[in-house]
Amino acid sequence: MLEFERVGFSYGRQPVLTGISLTIAAGEFIAVVGPNGAGKTTLVRLALGLIRPTDGAVRLFGTDSSRFRQWSSVGYVPQRANASSALPISVDEVVRSGLAGQLRPLARVSSTQRERIEHVLEVMGLQQVRRRRITQLSGGQQQRALIARALVTTPRLLFLDEPTTGVDAEAKTALRASLEHLVNIEGIAVVYISHDPAGFAGLAQRVLEVRDGQVLPVSGSAPVSSASHPGA
Amino acid sequence: MLELEFMQRALIACTVIAAIAPLVGSFIVQRRQSLIGDGMGHMAFAGVGLALLTGIHPLIGALGLTVIAAVALVRMSKRQGGGDLSLALLFYGGISAGFLFAARSGGGQTAVVGLLFGSPLNLQWWEVAAITALAGVVLLITAVVYRQLLAMAFDEASAKVAGIPTQALTLILTLMVALIVVAGMTTIGLLLISAMMVVPIAAATQIAGSYRATLAIGSGIGALSAVLGLTLSYYGDFAPGAAIVVVAILCYLVTSTFALLTGRYHRRRA
Repeated sequence: MLEFERVGFSYGRQPVLTGISLTIAAGEFIAVVGPNGAGKTTLVRLALGLIRPTDGAVRLFGTDSSRFRQWSSVGYVPQRANASSALPISVDEVVRSGLAGQLRPLARVSSTQRERIEHVLEVMGLQQVRRRRITQLSGGQQQRALIARALVTTPRLLFLDEPTTGVDAEAKTALRASLEHLVNIEGIAVVYISHDPAGFAGLAQRVLEVRDGQVLPVSGSAPVSSASHPGA
Repeated sequence: MLELEFMQRALIACTVIAAIAPLVGSFIVQRRQSLIGDGMGHMAFAGVGLALLTGIHPLIGALGLTVIAAVALVRMSKRQGGGDLSLALLFYGGISAGFLFAARSGGGQTAVVGLLFGSPLNLQWWEVAAITALAGVVLLITAVVYRQLLAMAFDEASAKVAGIPTQALTLILTLMVALIVVAGMTTIGLLLISAMMVVPIAAATQIAGSYRATLAIGSGIGALSAVLGLTLSYYGDFAPGAAIVVVAILCYLVTSTFALLTGRYHRRRA
């Protein structure tokens, strides 16, 4: 599903990641931890083809990420949307905007897509607030709206970048319940980037740590897949 | 007032452009590029100067140079930190070149002032038709790529991951800004058309509950500002472009006061 083969990445002459090799299989839940600036977000950006590796290859569903086109199979939830805090966009519009890459110009949303929108709003507990501006919601609700947006294309692989940043304990519990549903019921593979182990404890099948340019399994975490070859 | 043909032409041209400009403005505001219209305005001014020098119509000169500037701007801003610098280059290069060309042409002082501050009362019917056509093109493009523009305004990285060609879309958006600037230079003026892209949207943002509503309200405020501004200009002998922008700013004060008093949409991220 996702494969890093001896991947290296540098910002100018400053190496950030070196010789990363790992594989993520269908339905896996992987947590990635590490100190600030270690390269966690760089790892995600490489996986999504937003930046190109300086060495090695990143493959999504068997295709090099720079040539990958089946983006409906991949969902991405940024740490925080870069939209202005005054963006007058409703929750419904945020979720529907997830379909923008799939729809032809002026095409109407199909009945299947409409059903999917209703489904993700329900799973994320957002039906009651769908007409409200996203900036009116709590941090946790906003985060779930971003996840709903990423899920609307029915992805098979979901990236979550620090999803619990700035959310309260109650919202973390709600987010966790939503993730359990995604993993256990919908069988979506998840790459969960976080500082906060409480967000993925009991959900993550593997915990990887990004440190000193390497990606290493955290000792004592759940069994490391034989498909993983960190720090080559 | 309405029985005068020059006022009819001014009303149609100003209302059309003031209603369409906020549609483009909404996306540039969200991308924190509110000053891009000013940059384009300066390049249009250079185009007008070049047109005066070479004897072509100012509309053609402005359109040509702003389109070239739009492409150059997008290419330059791809470089890290290049966006701000490239906009500054447009600002200063455009205004300097415009004055140099206009001075060299040895005439057209009145035309230059008219384009800087707008002179809708001097429009001919063919110019009204040209402005309406340019605005129509912008409306059509906005309708076609609305969903993609909205996704990009919300979060560009997510939009890229969703398969949206964000670079092409950025170029389209910048070209639309260029079209609005050119369409608005004879009506509201090169120095003020950018305000009509930004101020009605800022006003609408205070009271709208969704993006679609923001566009509709912003467009309505733009049109209302054009009608009221021209009416004020007619009876009060004010400069039309300035009067239109002042009405739009008053609309912003009204909606922001309303939002403040009612507490609408003033809660920020938790």
